[in-house]
Amino acid sequence: MSRGTGAGYDRHITIFSPEGRLYQVEYAFKAVKAAGVTSIGVRGKDSVCVVTQKKVPDKLLDQTSVTHLFPITKYLGLLATGMTADARSLVSQARNEAAEFRFKWGYEMPVDVLSKWIADKAQVYTQHAYMRPLGVASMVLGIDEEKGPQLFKCDPAGHFFGHKATSAGLKEQEAINFLEKKMKNDPAFSYDETVQTAISALQSVLQEDFKATEIENIIPLHLTHCYIPVSPQFIAWFLLVAWQLA
Amino acid sequence: MGDSQYSFSLTTFSPSGKLVQIEHALMAVGSGQTSLGIKATNGVVVATEKKLPSILVDETSVQKIQLVTPNIGVVYSGMGPDSRVLVRKSRKQAQQYFRLYKETIPVTQLVRETAAVMQEFTQSGGVRPFGVSLLIAGYDDNGPQLYQVDPSGSYFSWKASAMGKNVSNAKTFLEKRYTEDMELEDAIHTAILTLKEGFEGQISGKNIEIGIIGTDRQFRVLSSSEIDDYLAEVE
Repeated sequence: MSRGTGAGYDRHITIFSPEGRLYQVEYAFKAVKAAGVTSIGVRGKDSVCVVTQKKVPDKLLDQTSVTHLFPITKYLGLLATGMTADARSLVSQARNEAAEFRFKWGYEMPVDVLSKWIADKAQVYTQHAYMRPLGVASMVLGIDEEKGPQLFKCDPAGHFFGHKATSAGLKEQEAINFLEKKMKNDPAFSYDETVQTAISALQSVLQEDFKATEIENIIPLHLTHCYIPVSPQFIAWFLLVAWQLA
Repeated sequence: MGDSQYSFSLTTFSPSGKLVQIEHALMAVGSGQTSLGIKATNGVVVATEKKLPSILVDETSVQKIQLVTPNIGVVYSGMGPDSRVLVRKSRKQAQQYFRLYKETIPVTQLVRETAAVMQEFTQSGGVRPFGVSLLIAGYDDNGPQLYQVDPSGSYFSWKASAMGKNVSNAKTFLEKRYTEDMELEDAIHTAILTLKEGFEGQISGKNIEIGIIGTDRQFRVLSSSEIDDYLAEVE
């Protein structure tokens, strides 16, 4: 069992490389991209919308079981981009954590608190050799009682930030470039505009028209304070509008 | 901590007697965003760059300078996630101290305990050292104090210090500008000028953070508009 100077092992476990980098964490970021899916999140004035691709690799698969969108509570959603198995493990723990929070403190777990918890867990995997980092970038969304709509992104390195709009996955950088142009002057999007921006961002980045069944979309509504997974028919309507705008 | 399979230290001596993992950790610190601290006669100021990966990031959701107790604050250079772990542990240690002694923890004690945690991670099984250096600023009965703690767990008290990418230029600048009778307001101006030296792009209240503590012994982070006011004074 070789150890010591870390010669050669800095690529296998999360110890420092000579330049002060963590190769395992960088490889985890690559694993997020390897899933081949791009996700977009946009925050509006009173709503938050996330969109992701729905790639069903086999026609025999039950499409309804293929999902990257997970309700954590009635008021919090999580979009996991990357390795699905890692995502499910994380979601399962997040659900437990959010439920305990509600029980212990008597109010719903806020978006930023859940994001911090996920990010802190990710940090532990970057420091302890016995567990590898998760190959998942999580976008947590919800409506905060005091701060309004919130969109947070947590990555395998343990970073987490609040975002006005963001992207994760294969075409992350192209999507962020697109969104930066749209969000340049700090616009306050209405519900419709939020959804349209998210969908048109995905369209422009993938440069293809996609059918309503090929994307998944969830939008928390300010009034009802809950998120709803949007049905394909609903998405089709938005796609129509997005095409006209694009 | 960690699995029994990893109950051996990952940080071990090289043939020349060096602990290379710690040196690599210092490299990680050296590639982090610049931060600095200055101790004045009547307070301490810490400042850091706050360069975010994209304009899409909501800068109000990020605060790099953190409070550990009402009279002690901390800023880091290096890996953000690692710093969160240390801040959390320090806060708990401060509370445990108070519970035991019914007195607020002195700055030196807090620094000592935080440094001990960092040292543990250079020796324990299955973990890597922290990739951060911390600047801990506080005001207690011994007056204003500024300490820097490194990934190895060693710490020193500083009159002024800097860490991160621009460390050598910043330290040279501070050595020239620092005076023993500097007051807090002067220190804040000097801190801003030092950050400005190596700053790429347009400096503003949105891409730097400043924390101060004065004779009131209340550590606080300045708002971006307050920073803009200071920037205007410095122009």
